[in-house]
Amino acid sequence: MKPRSSCMFVAICAVIACLFASVASAAAPNIGVLIYKYDDTYISTVRNALTKALDGKATMTMQDGKGDQATQNDQLDVMISKKMDGLIVNMVDAQAAAGVLEKIKAAGIPVVFFNREPNLDVLKTYDKSVFVGTNAADAGKMQGDIIKQLWENKAFDLNGDGKFQYVMFKGEPDNPEAIARTEFSVKQAALNGVTMDQIGQTFVCNWDTALAQQAMESALAANEGKIELVIANNDSMAMGAIAALSNVGYNLEGGSKFIPVIGVDATDQAVDAIGKGIMSATVKQDGEAMGQAVATIMLNMAAGKAPLDGTSYTYDDSGIAVRIPYSPFMGK
Amino acid sequence: MSTLSVGNEKWKEWLLNYSLYVILGVLIIAVVVMEPTFLSFDNLSKIMAQASTRGILALGVAGMIVYTGTDLSAGRILGCCAAISASLLQSVTYASRMYPGITEPLPLALPLLLAMAVGMMFCCLNAFGFAVLKMHPFIISLGTQLIAYGALCLYIDSQAGGAQPLASLDPRYISVVNGSFDIGFMKLPYLVVYLAICSAVMWVIWNKTTIGKNMFAIGGNPEAAAVSGVNVVRNIFQVYLIAGMLYGIAAFLEAGRVQSVTTATGLNYDLDAISGCVIGGVSFTGGVGTIPGVLVGVIILQVINYSLYYLGVNAYFQYIIKGLIIIMAVAIDVRKYISKK
Repeated sequence: MKPRSSCMFVAICAVIACLFASVASAAAPNIGVLIYKYDDTYISTVRNALTKALDGKATMTMQDGKGDQATQNDQLDVMISKKMDGLIVNMVDAQAAAGVLEKIKAAGIPVVFFNREPNLDVLKTYDKSVFVGTNAADAGKMQGDIIKQLWENKAFDLNGDGKFQYVMFKGEPDNPEAIARTEFSVKQAALNGVTMDQIGQTFVCNWDTALAQQAMESALAANEGKIELVIANNDSMAMGAIAALSNVGYNLEGGSKFIPVIGVDATDQAVDAIGKGIMSATVKQDGEAMGQAVATIMLNMAAGKAPLDGTSYTYDDSGIAVRIPYSPFMGK
Repeated sequence: MSTLSVGNEKWKEWLLNYSLYVILGVLIIAVVVMEPTFLSFDNLSKIMAQASTRGILALGVAGMIVYTGTDLSAGRILGCCAAISASLLQSVTYASRMYPGITEPLPLALPLLLAMAVGMMFCCLNAFGFAVLKMHPFIISLGTQLIAYGALCLYIDSQAGGAQPLASLDPRYISVVNGSFDIGFMKLPYLVVYLAICSAVMWVIWNKTTIGKNMFAIGGNPEAAAVSGVNVVRNIFQVYLIAGMLYGIAAFLEAGRVQSVTTATGLNYDLDAISGCVIGGVSFTGGVGTIPGVLVGVIILQVINYSLYYLGVNAYFQYIIKGLIIIMAVAIDVRKYISKK
């Protein structure tokens, strides 16, 4: 029994090796990429853009952090052991960046962090590091501007009290982007002269469609007719809210009852929903541009050039971060 | 019949008895064949360090599996205890620390002891459900897991600045956890030393004390153990409290290792610990298991993890391969008990 099993095992391993092990080409640099979680819609866009941009110019090894910082740390250990020429890191938990940077610094490998923003003062302690991100507050502010535009259509003030009654869907409790979007969307709307009135507590739905749908269903059960606006930190949660709304007859394609829903990311699904008229607007976080920027900067650094050499990118005030702008999307 | 077949039998028996070590060996050889650079002291010390916190957690869970039980709450309990250690050991110069009142660094032992106390408290709840309320450990720990998660979220959200990850830890704490001895040819991480100490203590408890002997008696046949005068309830509480201490230690180390604690800390660690135990031959049918087995099980799991990353295997295939290897390892290991019956 046993010897046969081990033979089988070796055979399986050999097959696996043939199928998946990467074949390093001679000149191209080895780039290690650590992603916070593969099954995140927006990050998937960046991931694909990144893969495309590095194709043929570098040998890429990518790992899925599965939403767990401990797993990502383990993966980083491996990348360092393999003596990568460059690392691209999308932190699971941006606050853990100090420990991660320490390890990378000790190994002397150039690194580009993207998406989730580490403390830039920590990053500045290592001269071979760059951050590519967005300005977290901007997405919220753009949502605030969209709210102003929606508000100008008085039909959305269902009870005619001059206040915009909204429900809020937040990403993760301790994620800086989620915190900023939640805060600045409402702040900006208020600055624009819209009186905002929240119904119930903020729903923390971990960026997740199913969780948002459940929360919206119970919110509708308790407050149907009072909710005039749905604000979500991302499109996945906005889609969940729309699913719940459609179950009770709102936001159906060609239907008469509509409650505005706004998200962030401009995922394919959301763009489609906006086209069909069952969603109001989203804020585009340009994943393609992000992936392209990360790849270009990484290749420069791996080749020993200045990070922004020969590109049109510029650093923001921090002198170490490049910002990819957001843009509002309300349908073509 | 002939001497040949007798030799064959012995050979088979040896293979069965040491199947875990054989699997581990084959695994490593297979990886080295594919990627020769895998064979280095640097990789060895990293794998051992990564296995350490999960190993300590598994040492706690193993006792419950010996009772034919399990513990689904271990991961979230670890999250809670880690949050406590991290919050008390944030660097005193970090402006948005959880306790601005702490202006002098606390002695490291205090948060460790507190983490252990919290771990023991949750385990006490599990033990109460199992021993006194006669609930299946699966169910009671399912409930405890939710309670621990809720407590963790509340605790992290109770900071002045809202729900922020607990980071910027005291440098003393980080070095006590992540430091290593330089023993010439390789670095021996402190984490591995901590695991070794915990394992040695657990080996003594399992093999040389009445707690251990009664635990195996109850796991093998609870009625017989009760009839022969074993205080079942007391023994269960003892084993669970020891597990709680181990969870606290693992949490203290994990927070220092990852250097940041969030509401996601500890998620699914229980399943890693349980798989480690099961691969290591702690039987779900109860009454069977050894400390070296648990250690080898956890290390096998970590070697699989590490080598899949090392070989650069597609992330989704990693799950499938890991699943297949776990099934195969356990299938081979259980033959040992089948053949003895």
